[in-house]
Amino acid sequence: MNLDWTVAWQHRALLFDGVIVTILLTVLTMAIAVPGGIAIMLMRQSRYAVVRGIGTAYVEFFRNLPLILLVYWAFYVLPLLIDVRVSPFATGLIALSLNVSAYNSETFRAGVNSIRRGQTDAALALGMSRWQMMRQVVLPQALRRVLPVLASTWVSLFKDTSLVSVIAVGDLAHAALQVRSQTFRVLEMLTVMAVIYWCLGYPQAKLVDWIDRKFGVKE
Amino acid sequence: MSERQRVVVYDKVVKRFGSLTVLDGVDAHVDRGEVVCLIGPSGSGKSTLLRCTNALETVDGGRVIFDGLPMPEAEAERRRVRQRMGMVFQSFELFPHMTAIGNVACGRQTVLGEAREPAEARAIALLQKVGLRDKALSYPNMLSGGQQQRVAIARALAMDPEVMLFDEPTSALDPETVGEVLNTMKQLAEEGMTMIVVTHEMSFARRVGHRVMVFDKGRVIEDGPPKQIFDAPLQVRTREFLSHLGWSG
Repeated sequence: MNLDWTVAWQHRALLFDGVIVTILLTVLTMAIAVPGGIAIMLMRQSRYAVVRGIGTAYVEFFRNLPLILLVYWAFYVLPLLIDVRVSPFATGLIALSLNVSAYNSETFRAGVNSIRRGQTDAALALGMSRWQMMRQVVLPQALRRVLPVLASTWVSLFKDTSLVSVIAVGDLAHAALQVRSQTFRVLEMLTVMAVIYWCLGYPQAKLVDWIDRKFGVKE
Repeated sequence: MSERQRVVVYDKVVKRFGSLTVLDGVDAHVDRGEVVCLIGPSGSGKSTLLRCTNALETVDGGRVIFDGLPMPEAEAERRRVRQRMGMVFQSFELFPHMTAIGNVACGRQTVLGEAREPAEARAIALLQKVGLRDKALSYPNMLSGGQQQRVAIARALAMDPEVMLFDEPTSALDPETVGEVLNTMKQLAEEGMTMIVVTHEMSFARRVGHRVMVFDKGRVIEDGPPKQIFDAPLQVRTREFLSHLGWSG
């Protein structure tokens, strides 16, 4: 068997662009899915049953669909529903954000529920409204507690962005698979792709471990 | 002031948790400037009555009347009533993500919408009052239990309350820090603050309280000056309760 590792180097520009797209997709998805998750969590805590119902339906719908199906769905169905042409990148971003928002809202819900009754009593006794209590007392503490979980969601997301390659978003997976199909260097390109993902993912996982140690709940 | 002014009136207050009746028709009142201590066995309803006073618990029957007006139904109006009462909890409940000064200032900033500088100036003055000015920038986990509770008292005072509610403020403290908290409360009482104190500190109730209410099974079974309660209780149950605590007059 004769291996030719130079293909990766020859296509380094494409692969590099792929890395940038993957990172960008991860960052933007999280930037949407953190406030999105908080918003959905707040809906699920609403005193209005209808609002609560919408929040719960959202979470159960998007949490229980395979992400790849969601990506395809966004690609084929979204343009039919809204009469706008959306780029593959934006489509992938929407699909990922819908999914990760659902997960994040569950994470935030667990964080908010972990704040003990005495803290909310203390806030209410000062005369705070429910909203002020949420903003000043509950959310700041809950966010700190769920930081380790959010960090590991981040690492999963980083790898899951590869699923959007199926709709030709130029992310790392798509770039590598494209080179593979042009050069027929299957083993080389899959290996290179694995090495790049691992080299990017490993420091993030280590960072998660560090965040876990620093911010993990100790009370 | 010749005529005593009723600040809080409990009118046949009933509270149930499921099938359990925690308050079984409590009739009582607290006058302005009075220090009233609520004593009695655990589960007798003292803390629940305190929590009904600022509507942290809603009553199932009867009324709580504050400053002549029954506790309003609407949440927004209840908030305005709560602002006029300060509350101190057994387990302090300082906000762990804020410094001492942040804890004391946050009520004025968030609820009253006061700017940061005047709110913090007020907070510093109150920390000075409870003897913790040098701890202004400490987070709660860096403070002892007694210090945390004094910050919690300052936090409640920051809202300029007309009544202070204390829910077993020294029960979670190490014995050596109980005194500093009781002294702070005594100082407050001497300044004329109206105080309702749920406590197991009988010597505090005796020395500082103007009046003591004894609870048993969701009712006030005896209500009178400390001298009467501790030296010549009228009720057998009061005597039994005090002797269980090792109180010998």
